[in-house]
Amino acid sequence: MVNLIRSELLKLKRSKMIIISILGAMVTPIMVFVGVLKAKFTTADKIVTYADIFSESNLYIMLLFGVIVYTVIGSYLFSREYVEKTLKIILTVPVSRVTFIVVKFLMLLVWIIALTVITWVCSLFFAVLSRASEFSMLILKQSIIEYFWGGILLFLMISPFVFIAIYSKGVVVPIITAASVVMINIAVSNENLAALFPWTSSYLLVTGQIENTGYPMWLAIFLISLVSLSGFISSVIYFKKEDIV
Amino acid sequence: MTEYAIETKQLTKLYGEEVGVNNLNLHVEHGKIYGLLGRNGAGKTTTMRMLLNLVNPTDGKIYLFGEDYKNCPAKIFRKIGSIIETPGFYENLTARENLQILAMLRGKHRKDSIDNALRIVGLLDETKKVFSDYSLGMKQRLGIAAAIMHEPELLILDEPINGLDPIGIHEIRNFLLSFCKEKGTTILISSHVLSEIEQLADVIGVMHEGRLIEEVDMKELHKRNRQYVEFRISNENMACVLLEKHFNINDYTVHENNTIRIYYGIEKRGEINRCFVDNGLLVTKMNINEEKLEEYFSNLIGGGKIG
Repeated sequence: MVNLIRSELLKLKRSKMIIISILGAMVTPIMVFVGVLKAKFTTADKIVTYADIFSESNLYIMLLFGVIVYTVIGSYLFSREYVEKTLKIILTVPVSRVTFIVVKFLMLLVWIIALTVITWVCSLFFAVLSRASEFSMLILKQSIIEYFWGGILLFLMISPFVFIAIYSKGVVVPIITAASVVMINIAVSNENLAALFPWTSSYLLVTGQIENTGYPMWLAIFLISLVSLSGFISSVIYFKKEDIV
Repeated sequence: MTEYAIETKQLTKLYGEEVGVNNLNLHVEHGKIYGLLGRNGAGKTTTMRMLLNLVNPTDGKIYLFGEDYKNCPAKIFRKIGSIIETPGFYENLTARENLQILAMLRGKHRKDSIDNALRIVGLLDETKKVFSDYSLGMKQRLGIAAAIMHEPELLILDEPINGLDPIGIHEIRNFLLSFCKEKGTTILISSHVLSEIEQLADVIGVMHEGRLIEEVDMKELHKRNRQYVEFRISNENMACVLLEKHFNINDYTVHENNTIRIYYGIEKRGEINRCFVDNGLLVTKMNINEEKLEEYFSNLIGGGKIG
């Protein structure tokens, strides 16, 4: 398992996807910062707090940009083995198919957490740059917890896209699917029904807003678990039985 | 009882209703080079993929080193090196880094195994070029390096000389021969270049439409009476009757331009000629020929070219 993880890390050497994903993780804090600048130009005495910046950045990551960026990463990690035709050389080493896919998911989790850290640090940086007010250690701590759980939940919600990447053996179909999910996120985010749409309810769960929708928390957790497990299990079963051609 | 490095029993692969491999009974002896021949789509690559557990058989059994490969895949597959079609590697990595990944995944390996493998295929000095910048020949060489770096007991090579220049082909051929003779490595190799297989293989298996239609020792094949005497006569039908009636010869083939090839009883060609003439046939040509291997296999699979 350790050697598989080491090999996964080596596979990313010189990979352009690293820099692309870092830029992707920085986009939301930059967007929020631009929004703050615009607001300050419009209303000179506009007060922006640390909590606002962390919260908005997390909102954009969890509902919009993160879904796309993490889908791209997840799809890349899995589909590159098909595109570069490396499975026939790796699996004949031999490497267990189940272990292989578990390590891939582990890499995706590590990558998502690393990007979450980058997003949080960038948000903090831009909050300082925009002279945000109401700084406190409590806000920092709370934002770290929200970002961390946000990253974990986004990882769980990426699993169906990973299955699509394995099935379609490319990145295009999962990205289109993820873009559709983002559109639904936008459509339902202000509705009570958001609690029933796992990609939106993840955000509501992390920010403690799920109960405002009138739906019980257990239902949201159940739906998130159901979608996530479906993604993981179908990926493993399909990959295990698939003929490598 | 002969122990085989590879043995398959009734191995079958169906793709929907299409038959990929049909009841294949393959026998590859330890320490031998087995050449697998067949036209495109004959089922060679599918067979090799099944042997390497990349494709699940629909039916049948595979025994590697005498064991059912599903019983202990890790132990068995560590003893195998392979190339299936054009080798795939991580495009952003160098040859050494790609081999490092394989070494990491295998766990135990000699420290100099990567250098040795790269030296053998002539890629030791390619330290900076990444795989995506490699020519087809270089990619194929790296594939061979990956297949041999752990000194396997069995090599499964699907078209390993594809893309290599003539010098490269010569080098790899010599290497495979010495690998087999000195280390006793068993090699299963497929190629569309029949002459290559002819120079390498101890045993040849011919596949056609998913079936193994011939499995023959090369020595036996050369020993077989593929020498023939060819007559051009005025009436080939009567010639056939005369052959069967007077000489009890059935092993002949009739070709275009009133030509008949006789594979049996070549030493009686003078008498046959006299018999033809005495019975009113006009003999315009008689010569002795040896059927080329390519011709033999083309006949075996019903015309067309091998590969």
